Amino acid sequence: MAGSSRAPTPAVRAATPGDAVGDLVPAQVAEPSDTEELSLVLAEAAREGSTVAVRGGGTAQDWGPAPRALDLLVDTGKLSWIDHDPGDLVVEAGAGTPVAELYTHLAGKGQRLSYDPVRAGGTIGGAVATGASGPRRLLHGALRDLVIGMTVVRPDGVQARSGGRVVKNVAGYDLAKLHTGGYGTLGAIASVAFRLQPEPPALRLVEAEYGSRAEAERALAAVRESTVVPSAVEVSAGPDSALCLQVVVEGTHDGLRPRTEQAAQALGAHARVLGELPSQWGHRPSEGPLAWLSLPPAESVEAAARLGRRVRVGGCAPRGALHLSWPQGTPLEEIASVLEEARARPEWSVQLVRAHPEPVPAVDRWGRIPGLPLMRAVKDAFDPDHRFAPGRGTGGI
Amino acid sequence: MTEPITGDSHQRFSELLDDCVHCGFCLPTCPTHVLWGQEMDSPRGRIHLMEQMHSEDVLSEAAVSHFDNCLGCLACVSACPSGVAYDALIDHTRHRVEEQYERPLGERALRGALFSVFPHRDRLRLMRGPLRAYQATRAGRLLRRSGVLDRISPTLATMERIAPPLSSPPPPLPEFVPAVGRRRARVGMLVGCVQGAFFPEVNTATARVLALEGCDVVIPRSQGCCGALSGHSGRLEESAGFTRALVEVFERADVERIVVNSAGCGSSMKHMDRTLEEAGAAPEWVRRARAASEKVVDLTEFLAELGPQAERHPVPVHVAYQDACHLSHGQGVTSAPRELLARIPQMRVSDLPNKEICCGSAGVYNVLNPEPATELGDRKGQDAASTGAELLVSGNPGCSMQIGSALERAGTPMPVTHTARVLDVSLRGLDPGVLLGRS
Amino acid sequence: MSLAENETATAPAALVPELRAICGEDGVLTDHSQRRTYENDGLAHHREVPGVVVLPTSAEQVAAVVRLCHERGVPFVPRGAGTGLSAGALPHAEGVLLVTSRMRRILEIDVANECAVVEPGVANLDITRAAAPHGYYYAPDPSSQQVCSVGGNVAENSGGAHCLKYGFTVNHVRGLDVVTPSGELVRLGGKAADAPGYDLIGAFVGSEGTLGVATRVVVNLTRTPEKTVTLLSAFESMDAGGGAVSSIIGEGVLPSAIEMMDALAIEAAEAAVACDYPAGAAAVLIVELDGPAAEVDAQVEQVEALCAAAGSFETRTASGAEERALVWKGRKSAFAAVGRISPAYIVQDGVVPRTALSEVLRRITELSADSGIRVANVFHAGDGNLHPLVLFDDTEPGAWDRAEEVSAKILDLCVEHGGSITGEHGVGVDKACKMPRMYGPDDLETFDLFRRSLDPEGTANPDKLLPTPRLCGEQPGVRRDVHPLVASGQATQF
Repeated sequence: MAGSSRAPTPAVRAATPGDAVGDLVPAQVAEPSDTEELSLVLAEAAREGSTVAVRGGGTAQDWGPAPRALDLLVDTGKLSWIDHDPGDLVVEAGAGTPVAELYTHLAGKGQRLSYDPVRAGGTIGGAVATGASGPRRLLHGALRDLVIGMTVVRPDGVQARSGGRVVKNVAGYDLAKLHTGGYGTLGAIASVAFRLQPEPPALRLVEAEYGSRAEAERALAAVRESTVVPSAVEVSAGPDSALCLQVVVEGTHDGLRPRTEQAAQALGAHARVLGELPSQWGHRPSEGPLAWLSLPPAESVEAAARLGRRVRVGGCAPRGALHLSWPQGTPLEEIASVLEEARARPEWSVQLVRAHPEPVPAVDRWGRIPGLPLMRAVKDAFDPDHRFAPGRGTGGI
Repeated sequence: MTEPITGDSHQRFSELLDDCVHCGFCLPTCPTHVLWGQEMDSPRGRIHLMEQMHSEDVLSEAAVSHFDNCLGCLACVSACPSGVAYDALIDHTRHRVEEQYERPLGERALRGALFSVFPHRDRLRLMRGPLRAYQATRAGRLLRRSGVLDRISPTLATMERIAPPLSSPPPPLPEFVPAVGRRRARVGMLVGCVQGAFFPEVNTATARVLALEGCDVVIPRSQGCCGALSGHSGRLEESAGFTRALVEVFERADVERIVVNSAGCGSSMKHMDRTLEEAGAAPEWVRRARAASEKVVDLTEFLAELGPQAERHPVPVHVAYQDACHLSHGQGVTSAPRELLARIPQMRVSDLPNKEICCGSAGVYNVLNPEPATELGDRKGQDAASTGAELLVSGNPGCSMQIGSALERAGTPMPVTHTARVLDVSLRGLDPGVLLGRS
Repeated sequence: MSLAENETATAPAALVPELRAICGEDGVLTDHSQRRTYENDGLAHHREVPGVVVLPTSAEQVAAVVRLCHERGVPFVPRGAGTGLSAGALPHAEGVLLVTSRMRRILEIDVANECAVVEPGVANLDITRAAAPHGYYYAPDPSSQQVCSVGGNVAENSGGAHCLKYGFTVNHVRGLDVVTPSGELVRLGGKAADAPGYDLIGAFVGSEGTLGVATRVVVNLTRTPEKTVTLLSAFESMDAGGGAVSSIIGEGVLPSAIEMMDALAIEAAEAAVACDYPAGAAAVLIVELDGPAAEVDAQVEQVEALCAAAGSFETRTASGAEERALVWKGRKSAFAAVGRISPAYIVQDGVVPRTALSEVLRRITELSADSGIRVANVFHAGDGNLHPLVLFDDTEPGAWDRAEEVSAKILDLCVEHGGSITGEHGVGVDKACKMPRMYGPDDLETFDLFRRSLDPEGTANPDKLLPTPRLCGEQPGVRRDVHPLVASGQATQF
């Protein structure tokens, strides 16, 4: 490696209680200022046999189980940079770049990353590593669909790039897919390149509440059969709130008028039209137990109506990508029982993302994970000693 | 291995092979690839086998079987973006197989017997009527011994079922039918072997429609087979002989166009020059054949070009139009017949799903390869039935027989007829029931 | 010819009885002339006769064949319709060619879940045909869509003219049944999106058959757009056309396709299909807009104005299916049509950032002038995916080498400008030795690490996608500093 002989090992400081991940306080914290330094830090950790976890904004440290062990925490805060090619509708950003900063930058050029962030704050690296996508995934794809290239430092300290900065590229394996939603178990993300979309001139939100599942299903089917082409169709329900559908329509001012009307018609007589998105749009609750539920899209409304009696349900109905959230302090037995109810359905899968306190082993956090042996094989290849966020990944990888 | 057929055609064959870039666009339209899903039974695979045959002088038993499996429907020619002349390639290959490949005895007997009957209208006509009576004749006994009758029987039985009853054969056609009203052209008409023997009423209708549309129609009685069936089976000499005779007949007839109502014949007659060239004929013969070929036109193509003159009477029937391969792929005639039918007042015209796929008739293919032919026929029958039409219209006698029998097998019988008969009914204002077998 | 030569005589010969037991008598091809018909895919200059060919009809058969290969250490190569343009399905002389062309059932069109479940041998366009009556279609549309198989699309992550707006195969696959290189049948995802754990579907799509064989695919169905309009705009120079592309994108319009052809490509298309493009055009731009009628109408006006401002001397607008087909006819026939103006040609597939299009096209023109080799340009301008057609006369000695050199230099230009060596044709054998042009040794080693994690024995489509000493004649990964001419893949020729 060209840089190995020149750069000194970057500063590593002792950790403070504020650096804890779950109940684990690492021994050391490294704050590399570029990919080269990140690579040196991780190579050193590999030589030492240290266990490692990566932190961006620290907003999702409680997503996924805490790692089983942690010697070195890598803070990506200094890996913050934006390289935007507006003419190519492409941006590349350092892992530590705050998501909000990237959005502000892109908005200044009339563009956007069409992934609705699911948390306030946070960094690009964290968003990608946790992989969850917000409502507007419906039209432009989930976060994984927007990533076109990535530079990662492997657990052994080797830098590796896959993809690139052009939208169309099929050279080599798309390894970025593995790191997107990989919870940092396969390496540390250094930078990510995304495809962008122009920011549409106008937006409308059409929403309606329903007294029955059948009514909501009819409305959803009417949206599906229409030619509205919504950017988002969200379903939500909960013990204290009614079954609700929200449709986001984006486009030109002239074009929006008939499309909004169509959407309102599909949702029913009591549909409301709003000119903007509510604040916290797409954000998952920042505290309390949280789970992902994925199911055949035709069953989204059913899931919301049925589980909504016990737990707050929301998410992208036409993709069958929902989330469940409970108030802080909900008894584990109740959570386990909801998970069980969902898993009783053949094609439903549900994973508990956040839980306080750590669920007892009796609660099956993951459920059945098809292809788990293959995932383990991939993990073993990249991180043979299981030093990277051990236990944090899906299935306890 | 013997020497290549002729130096020139060898070179030309090589050039034609080079046109194929192996893109595979022909695969989905090839009936045998649809059936079996293997490369050697697709045009691209066969061209590969031809390359092997050509460059390494190898003609394996396997390769011959894959060439034999080809229906010659030419759907691949329509699908090919590079303009590969698969028709010329397969004709050349079949000829070479006939010349150089020793078929097993039984197969040779079958082919010999088949070609002693099929290209001869009078012998075919003899076979009409109760099969038992035919089998009692000396020729019938000979044929039965060769096994050919077992193969032909189902085909004949089908013909018997769907052809009009023998008790009312149409009167023989005169040699000349004068134009009705304003005379617009003088045309010759091909009678065809199968058409002439089994569907004489189609020829009668053709002549009548042409006359009603203002054509003097010359129907030389001395005309024989066009040679297509022989040519498509690699019997080049036989085919060339038929071709020469036909060229002479129509030269004497002194006509502007030669109208053909049988797609298989028309497709072949449009390149009689190539047939003679392949057979090594003298340039003068090739020239004469080319001149004759340039006059050849399908009935529907000709009528569409001529434009309507006679009045069309309503025919309130829902018809499904089936593209005969040698009309759509072989001659590129697809819109003319549909336009002619659609112009008939109160007629509704539907297309079949998978319309580019062959019905499995393919000349004598259904006799030589009964199993795939039946399977393809069944598929086509299902597609035809799915249209919900009352009547199936096609431009080729073989297709009519093949699909008609498939529909009957499936328990969804549907009358089958030729475009000419539908036009005849409309032009003469007849009861449409005659087309539906209800009159 | 002796029987020994004719029949499969190499390593897989020992497998034949077992393969027959799995796939049946007619599911195993051993005859030499039959096997030879599989010696190449759509890229015909790479040829290798497979040791044996199998035609399984079920996932269980595929799994049993692959398991047998795994046990005996025999390589296998998956093949769909054989339309690939990177020799990704080039057979292995000592291996099993596993052809999915008999697995072609559409298992389900599920409108409520907006997806289709199909076997890998189903042709891409057949999904759209089956979905159309319900008002849906399958969005990825590679130009071979009526032939190419879904399994092949999954292996190559196929795109198409409309991937500018709708993305690639990977964006439309929800579920996969995969037979792993060890012969295990695994179901990943399904009708539900967001399968838990690592995104193995995402990594499997585009892996060119090196990680196993897809035996069942769940794909998204997309609503048929309410309105589609195709514009044809003619320019006096490629630069002006390129300018129009930039301003369309710059103004925030997202067409479903933006295609461009240069004068030579237009000449070829005119010769082949008489597409009647505006006379005197040095460049034509085809812009397709689709979506809700109200949005499309507004965008059509906008695009017309932008083309005019960029110097277009004629713009035609087509909205009916037949009219639109006429506009597309010239573009779609362009590759095959080039055969009319040149005896032979090489189709290249490279990508540059859209903003570098004009510069790269100028450099290609220079390259063409310097070498005296004609280059016709047909490309997906919206996403910078170039398809230069390098014309040559194959009867002229050395012409192939010179054309190949120009073709390789064009690829170098793409990489120099931050692009890719392939936008949609894949790496396969054809570009395996060019991978070091784009990726460093560590990147390549990482790809290999991943590959070996799922195929430790290296039996799944070996010698594809990554450079190997066998293929490239030297150590992979050290070629970064080698002279460009040597590194540009001459070693792929024979």
